[in-house]
Amino acid sequence: MSVFMDLNLSYTNDKSRMQSLIETAAHLGYSTVAINYTYELTIKKSKVPVPTPIKDLMEKLPIVQGRCRPIRVLNRLTVVMSEQCHFKKTGREFSAYDLLAVQPATEKLFHVACFTLDVDIICISVTEKRPFIIKRSPVNGAVERGIMFEVSYSAAIRDSTMRRYTIANAVSLVETCKGKNLILSSAAEKPLELRGPYDISNLGLLFGLSDGDAKEAVSSACRSVVLHGETRKTAGGIVHTMKCCSETPDQQEAPPADCEAPAAKRAKQLTE
Amino acid sequence: MKMRAELDQTPRSLLVSERSSFRDQKTRIRAQVEQLHFNYKVSVLLPECCSAPPHLDSIFNTFNSFYLIRNLPVYELLDKNFLETAVYQGSVYGVSYRTRIDEDNCVALTPKGHLTLSLDKDSFEILGVEGKPSRFNHRTKCRFVVSVDLTDSSMAPGGRGYQRLLTGLRSRLQLKTDFLLSHYPGGGASLQALLSRYDWSEHRPQISRHTLTDLSCPALLTSDLQSCDPHSFMEWVGAVDANVSCENSSSSFLSSLVCPEPRTTVSRALSVSVCGLLLPHDVHRLIQEIRCYLEQPHLESWVCLTVHGYADSPVSWGDNEHSVLKGGENFYSLLMFQDDTYHLHLATGAHDTCPP
Repeated sequence: MSVFMDLNLSYTNDKSRMQSLIETAAHLGYSTVAINYTYELTIKKSKVPVPTPIKDLMEKLPIVQGRCRPIRVLNRLTVVMSEQCHFKKTGREFSAYDLLAVQPATEKLFHVACFTLDVDIICISVTEKRPFIIKRSPVNGAVERGIMFEVSYSAAIRDSTMRRYTIANAVSLVETCKGKNLILSSAAEKPLELRGPYDISNLGLLFGLSDGDAKEAVSSACRSVVLHGETRKTAGGIVHTMKCCSETPDQQEAPPADCEAPAAKRAKQLTE
Repeated sequence: MKMRAELDQTPRSLLVSERSSFRDQKTRIRAQVEQLHFNYKVSVLLPECCSAPPHLDSIFNTFNSFYLIRNLPVYELLDKNFLETAVYQGSVYGVSYRTRIDEDNCVALTPKGHLTLSLDKDSFEILGVEGKPSRFNHRTKCRFVVSVDLTDSSMAPGGRGYQRLLTGLRSRLQLKTDFLLSHYPGGGASLQALLSRYDWSEHRPQISRHTLTDLSCPALLTSDLQSCDPHSFMEWVGAVDANVSCENSSSSFLSSLVCPEPRTTVSRALSVSVCGLLLPHDVHRLIQEIRCYLEQPHLESWVCLTVHGYADSPVSWGDNEHSVLKGGENFYSLLMFQDDTYHLHLATGAHDTCPP
């Protein structure tokens, strides 16, 4: 097993609420969390939100309860797709995020997301009655590509009708994917909507997962998602490029005309 | 909408029950106590008793001290001097502290000189030493166990196996954990060389005593009578130890645990708990002292001793691998009677091997 992770903490502009969310997650035993920014693709002229740097959000990250390391905070973007629209696969705005998720609203979009889109997570809607039937073929396609399906539980805490939808949608997903490639996360807006990892693992039993699968849904599967997100920025998961910050502005200027040294070729700027 | 029928089942647990006598030549009690190396808590329930008799108290107070080293680099356990003064002479008991067996890398050093490292996938691949996948991996192999016998000739200082592990722990993985350490019979003196190099503190086991009044307990007359089944008895012992009410009153929804029938009421009882890194040797001394205590006439002729192992230890009984699924319990409960007979119940959780 690997460390426990909650990969969906809803972003709000309220800084103190975000801080208490992260502190509560660390207290509950989560070693890694991801702050989720939602982006509606249909709203015209809406720009992809820029993630707040973690340093600005919290100066000192809290230590995870029972361990000696601070909690790790990632940035995640969820693109809500509800119409036929172009999803820029290699948009520059997306590269600022560690994880990329989509929430398809129709069966056709779900099919597209499972087979073609370069994402890490496909979110299953829990706030409405099953919008489309989840078929085995796209689910298997997504599993082969290493994409995970996500079920959020905080809606179930807020409202009893949502509880029914959450359980119903999750059970049908688990029947189709046979418990593989599933992560459970909170989508919490307030600290009180977070629950501990072992509690969520028990919730997984309600959804039809086995003991081992339910525990994996909060640990190993989340680790796979994070690694998948890291490899999205690499070439084939092997080569990683990093822009080197320019050392001094002098190097980029042309040498002065009255320089005594003979004209020499400008040194190539190295990119490692 | 179909839901799985197994929702009413709790995670798997194992309970082994045994009845024997201390006078029986074939009794395995000594081996069973010795094999649970890392004991976290020992609790004793003495019925019809309000204060512990002096001999028993002195045993509690003379449990071995243990040492906590902060941020110990694990390669130090391979130090030649440490091996010669501590590991080869007597028994070293060491287990990593504040590491979770299902999340972090855990280390254990058993008295026979076996070093066990329970590592996650990344750490195992970086270390580069031979190991096996954990028995409790589910779909993916995400946990690996490296088990090394430090007393074996291949692991003698300077040997190839030794060098490879030392290089791996020193330069490649650089594993550091807080470590609990104890030595029998040398005590702190044998560990001084290692302790002096790092931030260490000595700890005495913590003793706590509770007097319970009007305790309802199963009518345990003699060991011959089948008084109650092991599961209900273990639930009752756990409830008493955790100070959970067994009244099951209609107005309280906190606990529906009940004392198994047939039951009797004991006007007072003493519950003593000792917590820390406790050695099997001390547990054995305690058992002998309780036997002496029971030889004298008492109102109730039984005493219950429960020993809990560490939930996050990489090994439980012997060198068997241990892990945590929902709970990491590995403990045994010894119910001793006046006629030198006993009932022994050994229990483990889902991710564990069968107790001896």
